[in-house]
Amino acid sequence: MLLQTKGICKHFGGLKAVDQVDFSIEQGKLKSIIGPNGAGKTTFFNLVSGLYKPTHGQVTFQGKDVSHASMNERSQLGITKTYQITSIFPRLSVFENVRLAAQSRVSMFNSWRKAYSYSAINNRTMEILEHVGLADQQGRTASELSHGEKRYLEIGIALATEPTILLLDEPTAGMSPAETVEATHLIRKLSNELKLTIILIEHDISVVMGISDEVMVLHEGKKLAEDTPEKISANETVQNVYLGKGAEPCSR
Amino acid sequence: MELSWEIILMQVIMGLALGAIYVLLASGLSIIFGLLDVLNFAHGTFYMLGAYAMFTAISLCGNFWVGLVAAVVIVSLIGGLFEITLLKRLYGTDQIYPLLLCFGLGIFIPDIIKMAFGLIGKVVDYPAMLQGATFVGNLILPKYRIFLVVLMALVLLALYVFMKKTSIGMIIRAATRDRLMVNCLGINVSRVWTVGFMLGIGLAALAGAVAAPMVQTIPNMGDEMTVEAFVVVVIGGLGSLGGAALGGLILGQVVSFVSLLAPDWSNVSIFLTMALILVLRPRGLFGEEGRD
Amino acid sequence: MSAKQKTQETTSYKPYSWQAILEFRAMWVVLALGLVLPFVISKPLATEIMVYALFALAFNLLLGHTGIISFGHAGYLGAGAYAGAMVVYYGGVGVWVSLLAAMAGGTLVAVLIGLLAVKRKGAYFAMISLAIAQMLYFLALSPFKRWTDGEDSLKLPPLSVDFPFHIDLSDQLSLYYFVFVIVALAVLAQWRILSSPFGHALKGIRENEDRIRACGFDITRIKFLSIIYSGLFSGLAGGLLAIYLGAASITILFWMTSGIVVMQTVLGGTHTFMGPFIGTAVFLYLRNNISNYTDRWEMWVGAMFMALILLFPEGIWGTIVQKIGERRRPSAS
Repeated sequence: MLLQTKGICKHFGGLKAVDQVDFSIEQGKLKSIIGPNGAGKTTFFNLVSGLYKPTHGQVTFQGKDVSHASMNERSQLGITKTYQITSIFPRLSVFENVRLAAQSRVSMFNSWRKAYSYSAINNRTMEILEHVGLADQQGRTASELSHGEKRYLEIGIALATEPTILLLDEPTAGMSPAETVEATHLIRKLSNELKLTIILIEHDISVVMGISDEVMVLHEGKKLAEDTPEKISANETVQNVYLGKGAEPCSR
Repeated sequence: MELSWEIILMQVIMGLALGAIYVLLASGLSIIFGLLDVLNFAHGTFYMLGAYAMFTAISLCGNFWVGLVAAVVIVSLIGGLFEITLLKRLYGTDQIYPLLLCFGLGIFIPDIIKMAFGLIGKVVDYPAMLQGATFVGNLILPKYRIFLVVLMALVLLALYVFMKKTSIGMIIRAATRDRLMVNCLGINVSRVWTVGFMLGIGLAALAGAVAAPMVQTIPNMGDEMTVEAFVVVVIGGLGSLGGAALGGLILGQVVSFVSLLAPDWSNVSIFLTMALILVLRPRGLFGEEGRD
Repeated sequence: MSAKQKTQETTSYKPYSWQAILEFRAMWVVLALGLVLPFVISKPLATEIMVYALFALAFNLLLGHTGIISFGHAGYLGAGAYAGAMVVYYGGVGVWVSLLAAMAGGTLVAVLIGLLAVKRKGAYFAMISLAIAQMLYFLALSPFKRWTDGEDSLKLPPLSVDFPFHIDLSDQLSLYYFVFVIVALAVLAQWRILSSPFGHALKGIRENEDRIRACGFDITRIKFLSIIYSGLFSGLAGGLLAIYLGAASITILFWMTSGIVVMQTVLGGTHTFMGPFIGTAVFLYLRNNISNYTDRWEMWVGAMFMALILLFPEGIWGTIVQKIGERRRPSAS
């Protein structure tokens, strides 16, 4: 197992946002987490990425207990997340957005060498921009990009930190149906070509079913089911709490 | 010097009175910051305006109590005018811009006051009924200082009731916790902000007005008070009324005793206290985790 | 979208943005203008502009480049001035040692403020830094009066430099060029720092602190180092200020100094490199001239500053850069 959580809980006062969730993912797999709004998906992500520390339970990564490691420490270990609400560096160029993230693996405190003189970082940045389809936008200021392009930049920033495991928080949020299809292709490509281990949170079930190796369903902070996409679709309990309701109106 | 218990008690009372001024001032600063996310760099300026409004009102009507009410009302209205016409435009921008606007106001207004009242200090008299002291045994209790402590307690109580029981107070509390949510409730938040700002300014003006008889009323009397109000809220934890109260009282005692024992160090002691508390409790006494 | 038509060769990268190129050129233009400045305006004013411009650039390392609101820079400048002056006054050392001491003084205060406040954001940092600087003011004013001369300035004898060659600093023009060369070198050093991986990380913190942390940057240490650099260069400015004034005076430590550097910086443009330099020059030139016509300088400066914040929050140079950007945009896409 590459990453594992055991009985992980996060309580906010009386609210059990995440309650006793066991989860694991193997190297190279793509696993999705679905669930209605408020099911605890994002909280679960934040426990894995290190933004929150668990109330109880344990997160292990490559056999090591990382439950108490901070967010930047976990990032350095190779756990990287993207944000549901686009989180980029708005005044910097597209190139610099990705390059900065790539730089995090090499240098933080060097105050004298020129940042652009690290050709390995520059090349890697361009490679990633090619992957996410933003190479020809490299000189633009990030804030000028379209919404869809910003979502790709978001993924590009995450890729630049050379993640062992990539946590994608609703990568298609706010995208048009056509953009969503394209984004789905990209995620598939990251999984297949770059052999990345990916955990994906999604609201849009159709995105998840086509590309996941396995799906976990969260409901009110608890794990409801965990299986292959086909079996999840057929699972009655899941249908009742989630699929049965039909497509919920998107809250964002 | 021999420290008899009378001197110690006297010093405690002086410290309480000074602390009362700090508490009034800092609670206003804390309310404004909590509600609007604006660090009011002109807070001491409104304190100074409170003192001058008090002086003007008393010279017009001759009554301390009428003057007190008039000072608070007038300065609150000036604050409200500033909020509605200028400050409001900067909500939603980077935190630095409202802060700098207030800073500019804090440079602008004292110069106007210099022009209107001159550089020479104005004298505000104690009200007749609060002059002198009462004696309990051989303990001297200056009436005006006692009044300040009582006033502070009443104001804190009123604030508590206002925040807990009135609907606008509850909205202010909710908005302090989560501005976005209150916006979603369909409440006219804009008016809540104005009321909150005026409340904070009113407290600064009240502090200035009641301090006027004890200190020299000069155009730059507020500059130091801005910094000292900052120290109080850093000690107590920003956005917490209880913190402002405790911080103000602690600081009052520190200044009172250090002024007696090592007068050279009295100003320094304010900041040393803050540094010490920051080392022990980085978020201040009542600071919450996650709130910066 | 180009992701589909995957090209074989990697597109070449053009890392330097037009803003960076523009700023780089602006820096050289301003420094070149500095060469002739004392022949355009009075020599003391020109010297004062250079010293405070260095101070404003150092301040903007925090405000503009890292996004830290500091209101305690009077502490760095004053510590630099007093450290520089005291080693001359009591130790009889030369000008170079004095400047080193000034940098050490500024750095020391930066360490103090950094330790107490580095983890605090926004308004909190502003308040704590302001309070610590005020503490230094009051320390110098009375408890340490014996060493600082309190309200009387600590006056320096006429100074001269003997290495690498003789410069008589009591001559106004020599003093100007002495200050100018040091300031120019410090400006270039700051440019270099901001162009480094560390400098780029600072911009990341300013733009999006949560994201840069999620990328694996240790932001506490990066901010701490940024505060130290700011203190170092401010301390140097303080040392030069003491030489220029011929004294270390208590007003340097007063909190208004922190306020003035904020105003100068915002006037020029915080989100630029050379903005603070330009803002300082304009501010000091105006102050020198307006005070000839009116005693109400503070009223004017307060009103103009409020207008600036409301109408041109990006400042003089920042607004120009912004306008150039708007004109470029249609052609870029």
